[in-house]
Amino acid sequence: MKVQHVSLCFLGTMLFLCSVHARGLRRCLVSMDTHHIRERFQEIKTALQAKDTFQNVTILSTSETLHGIMPLDTCCMTKNLLAFYVDRVFKDHEELSPHILRNLSSIANSLLYLQKTLQRCDQKLCPCREEATNKTRVIHSIYDQLEVPSAAIKSLGELDVFLAWIDKNHHQETSTTNDKEPV
Amino acid sequence: MRHPPLVVLLAALLGLRLGSGAHELPSPPFVWFEGEFFHHVLHWTPIPNQSQSTYYEVELMPYGREPWKTVPSCNQTLALSCDLSMVTQELYHNDGYRVKVRAVDGSRRSNWTTTIRFTYDDVTLTVGHLELEMDRDALRGTIQPPRPKMAPAGDTYESIFKNFREYEIAMRKVPDNYTFTNKKVKGEHFRLPISGEVGTFCVMVKPSLSSRLNKGLWSEEVCHVLTRQYFTATNLGVFFAFVLLLCGALAYCLALQLYVRRRGKLPAVLVFEKPRPFGLVSQVPCRETQDPVYLDQEAFLSVSTALRSSGLHGSTDSGFGSAKPSLQAEEPQFPLPAPNPPAGVTLGEGTPLEREDSGGSGSSTDSGICLQEPSLSDSRGQEDSGIGLAQSSAGQPGDTQHGSASGRVSPLRTEPPGEEDPAVVAFQGYLRQTRCTEEKAVKAGCLEEESSSTDGLGPKFRTCPDAEAGWPAPALAKGYLKQDPPGMTLHPSGSPTRQWNQPTEEWPLLGLTSCGDWSFAHDLAPLDCGTAPGGLLGSFDSDLMTLPLISGLHTNE
Repeated sequence: MKVQHVSLCFLGTMLFLCSVHARGLRRCLVSMDTHHIRERFQEIKTALQAKDTFQNVTILSTSETLHGIMPLDTCCMTKNLLAFYVDRVFKDHEELSPHILRNLSSIANSLLYLQKTLQRCDQKLCPCREEATNKTRVIHSIYDQLEVPSAAIKSLGELDVFLAWIDKNHHQETSTTNDKEPV
Repeated sequence: MRHPPLVVLLAALLGLRLGSGAHELPSPPFVWFEGEFFHHVLHWTPIPNQSQSTYYEVELMPYGREPWKTVPSCNQTLALSCDLSMVTQELYHNDGYRVKVRAVDGSRRSNWTTTIRFTYDDVTLTVGHLELEMDRDALRGTIQPPRPKMAPAGDTYESIFKNFREYEIAMRKVPDNYTFTNKKVKGEHFRLPISGEVGTFCVMVKPSLSSRLNKGLWSEEVCHVLTRQYFTATNLGVFFAFVLLLCGALAYCLALQLYVRRRGKLPAVLVFEKPRPFGLVSQVPCRETQDPVYLDQEAFLSVSTALRSSGLHGSTDSGFGSAKPSLQAEEPQFPLPAPNPPAGVTLGEGTPLEREDSGGSGSSTDSGICLQEPSLSDSRGQEDSGIGLAQSSAGQPGDTQHGSASGRVSPLRTEPPGEEDPAVVAFQGYLRQTRCTEEKAVKAGCLEEESSSTDGLGPKFRTCPDAEAGWPAPALAKGYLKQDPPGMTLHPSGSPTRQWNQPTEEWPLLGLTSCGDWSFAHDLAPLDCGTAPGGLLGSFDSDLMTLPLISGLHTNE
């Protein structure tokens, strides 16, 4: 009887810890509303891509970057790409057209919100392994090989690639609210 | 000639400029991509001042993966478009393609005009075809996604766009215009309620993806003619249920009819012909006569035997056979023999009792005495007056036949039943058995035939217990029944019950006169006036016991 009581207590404790852990997992579940970003990008896609003069170069579409990323590295890669765009691309681009500037601002704010949300995740729940770190390093290297304005315009022109990668790696239940796996 | 090198230099430069201008060819101004599901077409605008020898070249490169590759199907094309489906089959799995076009005219080539990167976000969504069919009170539609031949195996519309497929539906009723409700359905199946309307309905759909920004193209219009459905499952079910109910009701009525007919079926010997109109039928009028009639015992026996063998059964008659039923008939209830019996005729032994008669259906053992058709006590309990008579002269309305001794008879009927000892009262010699006039009318209401099947042949009457109760069962007799003197055993006056149609009713144990009191609706004379319960034969048996009474008539005489 005493042993049975102890076993029940142990089982209850384990269940409690698992629920806490799951709750912790849920904190990294981010509502990745990419539909809004897609709509804004569609408005300025032609203009942005038309300004891309380096047609033979790609930053995000190489096999060394977004292609072939393991699911375990998805969360880290997403977090690193969001930082890339928010900390470098949007800051390096200078836009004169109000129409394009308005849409770019909306996109930037949306990506900033996603970045802040992911930063609240526990590091243990969103680990960055070496592969994800290497791929992030390649992206930055290619970006650095281009002139800043050209690199920035090219990166903005490849936002659809980044959004498609997010849709592929994070299953969306609805078009707006996405209750997803860990980013 | 101080500056000849400068002149030469200027001429050379001028010549070079003209030459380069001659080789310059303008590039196509605009190049764009238009694509549907696995149908990717590049379009461009022609160069200005295009000559007939100008053609175009197209090159393609997957985004980020050099080198550029020439599109063979579009090489040296004179058209202004090129189908790139065969060389862009990875469009739905990569980051897109870039395509460039230039003009060529002889040795001159223009610069390349490059498209922006196009991906499958730029593909316009379409449907393969639409099917409509009627489903009760709604239109059921099935959308078939596109199935292009260029698509590689495994790349279907549903596999590439796994989720969030939607279709906007527009419907109209001819000849109205389309109503765009902006309602979208998820999946390839939809149902449009019609609510009983009839006519021609046309539907078209436009596909879309809720997670993407692909544009959709309205499908071709598909129309369906709706007619009023009469032969629906519900209507047929109601119809068959109604038919079954009707058949059941008819079967029930038929069974009831057969049952009633069978119950009321009379034996052949008791089947009389249809009653004739009043006033015309009295073939054997029951005449009052003052002449006494004496019955021969042997004749009586033969008659009773004949009657017994004929299988007479109780019928709804009062015990006096009447050729025709007539509850209201005023004719005499006892048919008289054709030859007028002389007064005081005494029938000796052997004298046949038969007389002529009306065309009664029963045996006509007419002894000259107007007798009614014996009413046989029916084992089935038909009504009976309780008075049994030997025989019948058919077709007679109840003629009262009075024997010659009727004058001496005081009808017992006038006396209230049960008020005095029937034996005492009855012992007056011969009692006239019937009163053709008033009693018949009076008794008309009392008597009622229960056997409807005899159709006028069986006497109609019901027992009137108040009239008959207490009367002794009269013996089978013709015309007159001799009253038993006190002490003689009469049929118990305890009003034995009879099995008329209403077994609970008492059958009347009437004296002679009570037989005449019955009103007969039929030709049948109630044979068993006063017959004991158990049937006519039983009454015969009991009445036979009274035979000595008859024979006593001679003695009395």
